[in-house]
Amino acid sequence: MDPLNEFLELFSQQQETLLSSLWEHIQMSLIALLGAILIALPLGILLTRTRRFAEPIIGVAAVLQTIPSLALLGFMIIFLGIGTVPAVIALTAYALLPILRNTYTGIREIDPAIKEAATGMGMSPARRLRKVELPMAMPVVMAGVRTSMVLIIGTATLAALIGAGGLGDLIMTGIQRADQSYILLGAIPAAILALLFDFILRWTEKTKRSFMTFGVVMASAFLIVISPTLVPAQQSDLVIGGKLDAEPDILAHMYKHLTEDETDLNVDVQAGLGGTDIVFDALLVGDIDIYPEFTGTAYVDLLGQDPSGMNEDEVYEATKKGIETAYDLVYLEPMAYNNTYALAVSNEVGEAYELETISDLEPIQNELTAGFTFEFLDRPDDGYDAVTEAYGFEFADVNGLDPGLRSQAIEEGEVEVIDAYSTDAYLVEYGMVVLEDDEELFPPYQGAPLLREEVLDEHPELESILNTLAGEITDEDMQEMNYLVDYEDVDPEVVSEDYLQENGHLN
Amino acid sequence: MKWILKAGDRTDMITFKNVSKTFAEETTAVKNLHFHVEKGEFFALIGPSGCGKTTSLKMINRLVEPTEGTVHMEGKDIRDFNRQELRWNIGYVLQQIGLFPTMTVAENIAVVPEMKKWGKRETGKRIDELLEMVGLDPKTFRNRNPDELSGGEQQRVGVVRALAADPDILLMDEPFSALDPISREHLQNDIATLQERIKKTIVFVTHDIEEAFKLADRICLLKDGEALQTGTPRDLQHAPVNDFVKSFVGNRKPDLWETPVSEVMETDSKHMTRETTLHAPSYPAPLYVFGDERRFLGRLEPSGTVSHELLISPERPLREVVSAVEASEYDAVPVVENEQLVGILSYKNIVAYLYNQRAETGALP
Repeated sequence: MDPLNEFLELFSQQQETLLSSLWEHIQMSLIALLGAILIALPLGILLTRTRRFAEPIIGVAAVLQTIPSLALLGFMIIFLGIGTVPAVIALTAYALLPILRNTYTGIREIDPAIKEAATGMGMSPARRLRKVELPMAMPVVMAGVRTSMVLIIGTATLAALIGAGGLGDLIMTGIQRADQSYILLGAIPAAILALLFDFILRWTEKTKRSFMTFGVVMASAFLIVISPTLVPAQQSDLVIGGKLDAEPDILAHMYKHLTEDETDLNVDVQAGLGGTDIVFDALLVGDIDIYPEFTGTAYVDLLGQDPSGMNEDEVYEATKKGIETAYDLVYLEPMAYNNTYALAVSNEVGEAYELETISDLEPIQNELTAGFTFEFLDRPDDGYDAVTEAYGFEFADVNGLDPGLRSQAIEEGEVEVIDAYSTDAYLVEYGMVVLEDDEELFPPYQGAPLLREEVLDEHPELESILNTLAGEITDEDMQEMNYLVDYEDVDPEVVSEDYLQENGHLN
Repeated sequence: MKWILKAGDRTDMITFKNVSKTFAEETTAVKNLHFHVEKGEFFALIGPSGCGKTTSLKMINRLVEPTEGTVHMEGKDIRDFNRQELRWNIGYVLQQIGLFPTMTVAENIAVVPEMKKWGKRETGKRIDELLEMVGLDPKTFRNRNPDELSGGEQQRVGVVRALAADPDILLMDEPFSALDPISREHLQNDIATLQERIKKTIVFVTHDIEEAFKLADRICLLKDGEALQTGTPRDLQHAPVNDFVKSFVGNRKPDLWETPVSEVMETDSKHMTRETTLHAPSYPAPLYVFGDERRFLGRLEPSGTVSHELLISPERPLREVVSAVEASEYDAVPVVENEQLVGILSYKNIVAYLYNQRAETGALP
C-alpha cells in the first residue's frame, strides 16, 4: 500500500482517537498559553517599572527555557506527578520567556518623548499604560505570544510521555512503531493547529481595539476549553501504568482484565508513560499504583547493582529484596519470557557466515555495519561497551539509531547488526536471526508487576490475581502479541483479553 | 502686533519663588530662580544648552519637582493641585512632538478633553475648529495617522493637541527646533498670529535668540541654572546687565533693514555744499546747500537754491526710508536733524552698506 493510502486509511480508522487527542492538545496548549500570558505580561510590565530586577528575572525565565523540554516534564513528576496538570505547568514555564522578554522590550523601547508627552498631558501611569504604552508595544508583545504559542504546541507533543495525552500519543506511537502514518496523524494536526492559532492571534492584532479583542478571544477560548473539565471525572480505584511501548501496554491491560474479572475495583490504564524514570517516579508519588517492570532494569537502573554472572531467579530475588528495602515496593512473581538484550543479524548475513553466537561475529567485525540504539551504546554494564569487553572485539562501523526508525535502515540493508529485545516484533517481521549470548553477558529481563506496599495492604487480593501470570507467556507469545499491536494495529486491550481468554485466565 | 497689557491690570499667572533644582548626580540644574509670567504673556526662557531652561519649564507642569522653593499658579502653590488635573490645564508641546503613533490625529487631539470628560460632540467640534485654526483641513487630517504627516504638520497637530482642552497655560519646549527652516518660519508666524487670537499665557523654551526676539513679550536669559536678566527684548538689547547678556543678544543676526539711517548715510558728500563755496555749474545733481551751523537751505538748481520737500531724519530705520527714496526723483536725499543737514543718503550708500554687512556676517562668499 502506498504511504498516502495508508495514511488515509489510518485517518478514517482513528478519527475518534484523533479528535480526542486533538482536543486534549488544544486544551493543554490554550491553558498553558493563557497561563504564560497571565504571568508574563503583568510581570513584563512590572519589570519596566522596576528595571533593577528586570535582568535577573528575565534570566530566570531564560534558564527555564534552556532546560530540555522532556527533562522539565520529567522534573515536574517529582512534585506534581503525571497527567495534564504537570504538563500544563511545564509548558507554561517553558513559554514564559518570549512573552516576558517581548513585553519588557516592547514597552521599554517606546520613545521616551512619547512617554513624556503622555505624562505631561496629565495621563495617570495606568492610563498611559493602557492608552499609549500597551497599544504601541502590542506588535512586539504579540510576536512573543505567537512564539510562545508555537513553542507550546510543539512541546505539548512530548506531554504524552507523562500521560497528559494530546497529539503526542499518536506521534510517540508512530515513532515507537516506526510507522510514518501514525507520526503524520499526530504531526499534521499539530502543524495545522499552530497555523490556526497563529492566524487567530494575528487577526486579533489587526483589529482596531486589539487588546480588547485579544482579551475576549482568550477568555472565550479558556471557557470553551475549561468547561468539560468542570464535570467531575469518574474516580478510579486503581491505576495501572506502563512505559511507552506495545509490551507494557499489553501487560497493563492484562492486569486490568484480571483485576476487574476477580474484583469490583474500577481500574484505569495509564500507558505510554515515557521511560523508566517517568513511570517509576509516577509510581512513587502515587499517580499510578502498579506497573510491569523488568527484573534486569529494576536491578541495574533502580537499584544500581551489577547482575554479572547471576541467573534469572537470582536477579529476581535480589531485586525483590532490594526494592522492598529501598522503596517499600512489592515485586510480584515474573512471567516466563525474558526480554533481554540480544544481538541480531539479518538472515542473509547469518546464513552467509553461518552465524550462531555473538562470538562468531569476531572474524567479520570489519565487514559489518552496526546500528545500535542510543541506550544500548550508553549502558555501561550491559551495553555495547560491555559487549566489546566480554567478547574482545569491536565493529568498524557503529551507528546510533532510534529503535523505531532503525527498522527502515534494516529493511533497506543499510544495517546488518543490531541490538534487539528478544521479544521484539520486528525480529519476526524482518526475519532477523538472534545470536546466542555465549558469554552470558546480558542480564535477564523478565517482566513482573511492581506495586507500592500500601496498595497491596489495601487490596491484598491483588497478589494472587497478578501472580496468575507468574511463569506464563513465553518469548514467542510476547513476540506474537507485540506483532499484533505494532504491525496489525490491534488495540492492546483486545490483544491482552484474547490471550487471557485463550489461556483460560478469565472466568 | 504683540499682545501687551496696559500697566496696572497685569496679573501674575506663574510665579517662581527662589526655585532650585539639584539632581541626584549632585549637579545643580537651576539655582534660586525667581521670576513671574503675566497672564496672556508670551514668555521665553532662553540660554545656551545646559542652562536649565527646560528643567525650569518642566517644573511648571511638575514633570520635575523643585528641590527648593515653590512655583505658584495664579497665587496658588502648584503642589496643592492634583498633579494630573494641573496638567490637563497646562498645554504641553515638545521638541520631539511626541504624537501617539497608534492614534489618529483626532484621537491625539482628544486625549485631554477625554480625560476632562468632555462630550463626544463637543470634542469633535473643538478638534475641527483647532485644525482649521492652524490651517489643516479637518476632513483631510482628522483620520490620518501621525506618520502620514510632514514634520510641520505634525507639530501643528502637536500645538493643537496642547490647546485642545482650552488650557490657561501653554508650555512649549523648543517646539520648532526640529523642523526645517521653512516650516519653522511658517510655524513661528502662525503661532504669533494664533496668540493674538487665543491670548494664552505661553512659556516658551528656545536657544534661538532670533525666535525669542520675534515672538516673546519678555525674555528670561539663563546661564548655568541662574537667571541673568529678565525683561523685554529691548531691555536685553539696550541695557544688558553684563557682557554675557550683551554677547548673547549680540549674537542675534541683526536685521539690516532695521539699521538707522545715521549709520548708513555719508556725512561728507559731493552732494552737499556750503552756501559760500558754491560754483555753479560744476555741481553733481542733486546738490544740497547748507549755511552757517549746517543749517539746511535747500537744493541747488540752475535758477538758484530752491526748497526741498523730502527730508529724512537720521534715526529712521532703512526699511522705512527705502520706499521714500524710491519714490523720490533724486538718487540721493538729504538727512536732516533739527533743521541741520547731517548727511546724505544715496542708493550707493545703501547698497555698499548692505554688501559690507552681509560680507561681515558671512552671508556672502
